[in-house]
Amino acid sequence: MPSYAEIMDLAGFKSRNAAFKLVKKMVSQNIISQDKTGRIIPGRSFHGIPILGIVEAGFPSPAEEELIDTISIDEFLINNKEATYMLKVTGDSMIEAGIMPDDIVLVERGKDAKNGDVVIAQIDNQWTMKYFRKKGNKIFLEPANKKYKPIYPNEDLNIAAVVIAVIRKY
Amino acid sequence: MQNQPLTLYSFPRAIIHIDGDAFFASCEQSRNPKLQGKPVVTGKERGIAASMSYEAKAMGVTRGMRISDIKKVCPDAILLPSDYETYSLLSKRFYSIVRRFTPDVEEYGIDECFADVTGLRRPLRMSYEKIAQAIKKTLDEELGFTFSAGLGPNKVIAKIGSKWKKPSGFTSIPGRSIHLYIENLPVEKVWGIGPQTTAFLNKQGIRTGLELARKNEEWIRKNLTKPFYEIWQELNGKFVYDLQTQEKHDYQTIQKVKTFTPSSNERRFVFSQLSKNIENACIKARRHKLAAKGIIIFLRTQDFRDFGIEVRFSHATHFPNEIVKTMEPAFDRVFNGSFLYRSTGAVLLKLEEYKTIQPDLFGAALKIEDMEKLYENVDMVNRKFGKHTVFLGSSFWANKFSQHLGERGDIPKRKQNLLKGETTRKRLGIPMFMGEVA
Repeated sequence: MPSYAEIMDLAGFKSRNAAFKLVKKMVSQNIISQDKTGRIIPGRSFHGIPILGIVEAGFPSPAEEELIDTISIDEFLINNKEATYMLKVTGDSMIEAGIMPDDIVLVERGKDAKNGDVVIAQIDNQWTMKYFRKKGNKIFLEPANKKYKPIYPNEDLNIAAVVIAVIRKY
Repeated sequence: MQNQPLTLYSFPRAIIHIDGDAFFASCEQSRNPKLQGKPVVTGKERGIAASMSYEAKAMGVTRGMRISDIKKVCPDAILLPSDYETYSLLSKRFYSIVRRFTPDVEEYGIDECFADVTGLRRPLRMSYEKIAQAIKKTLDEELGFTFSAGLGPNKVIAKIGSKWKKPSGFTSIPGRSIHLYIENLPVEKVWGIGPQTTAFLNKQGIRTGLELARKNEEWIRKNLTKPFYEIWQELNGKFVYDLQTQEKHDYQTIQKVKTFTPSSNERRFVFSQLSKNIENACIKARRHKLAAKGIIIFLRTQDFRDFGIEVRFSHATHFPNEIVKTMEPAFDRVFNGSFLYRSTGAVLLKLEEYKTIQPDLFGAALKIEDMEKLYENVDMVNRKFGKHTVFLGSSFWANKFSQHLGERGDIPKRKQNLLKGETTRKRLGIPMFMGEVA
């Protein structure tokens, strides 16, 4: 912005006071304004666009509250943490249920087996994984593989756990 | 007199003590049906029985029995290396399940805890007996093996209850029935009464818990020290011992002992074993922000003789570099090349809260500052990649070989069954069922 001397020069004023009066007029119209030392600086309407405030670019960072409603993969797969175990599948008796050898299954102990659940039962000192079937009072274990026959337990059937998820890592 | 109750109150406080039945052996049996109903003994890597199943107990196997003796009394015994990772996972679950019922739980040992359920009858809508039974039932079902529980007006009595019927027992001892349970209980079976006190009490004609409980207060105060006065009060139904429900950070000492096979008389190897123990003890000290002002190192010979020595430090520390260097001359005073050694141990003493050291005139503080930075990073690396990824040069020979060569070097089953993405150093923190799945 011009100094008072430059204004005198530009406008052909003889006196500094005239320049001073012009500046005062323009300040009152908000065209220009003055800093602390009295020097001229552009006024609010100088550019013709009023500045309303400052807006930062970019998206706001995700707020903590927005993430409260998400769960981890652990929470997604596991319901009762203290009762959940895993087991590596060795046989193919549940292959038609999509459970392949070398899959990891998550199982829950102490859960009541319902008709149609895949369960881990203990038969002759061995684990076995089958569908739990209940027809009336009869309980039996059904494989998901035509190669094997259903198992009708003679004595009490020991259901160790119920399968709650299958994990396969590629 | 003999039939008179010791107190008229049943449960001014309701304390439950819960104890896992043959905990380590049960962890093994519950995950592998092939082991069920068989005599199972853990502790193979140490060469002694750490835990034995009830089938093995029935054959006469006792805790601490050497493998050679186990094979004599129980030729069919299945000896397993300890899988502390799995036992610890199940132990944490054990505490968590008890905490579903009450927040006041003291983790007393890997296989036992105390729970204070006072005042919970109304919110849980159950009697104290029913609460204890519900906890036991949940543990049995979700962990897959049995627990024994005792209910009493205090810890001493609750502990008598959990021992009363084992395995899978539950015994409730209300205050007014205490006398019935301790009438024939040898005094050395009372929690906290050791062989010395037992010998003294026996000389005074006190042989049972009830005989001790019936002594008058004046006699107890005159003849016994404070801890036994407290036990006497609890036997009489008072509540004295509070539960330590906070996680322990104020250890008095930290001890690390490791056996190795075969035994060795090679100085650098035995020294290296000790160095590794010191590193382990320091890891624990740093985790709890503690520093030691001294250490006891000890060496155990093949024929179970111990040789130890204590070393004091000029300042409290938890950096193994400093400790190993300071204790080396002491090691050489204890070590004798004509013996074969089977284990080494280190006990950090006089633990205090670790504070950043004040700067001093001789610049030692600067060195310590560097050490702090170094170990911050060592701990970070080891957290990410597993313990002992970075270790001291002095521990080299202990890390070069597995701890046990030969049969005792068997690795726990879980570590042989790694899943895709697991390493020998880091595994999924979920207990695994073992054995074939037909």
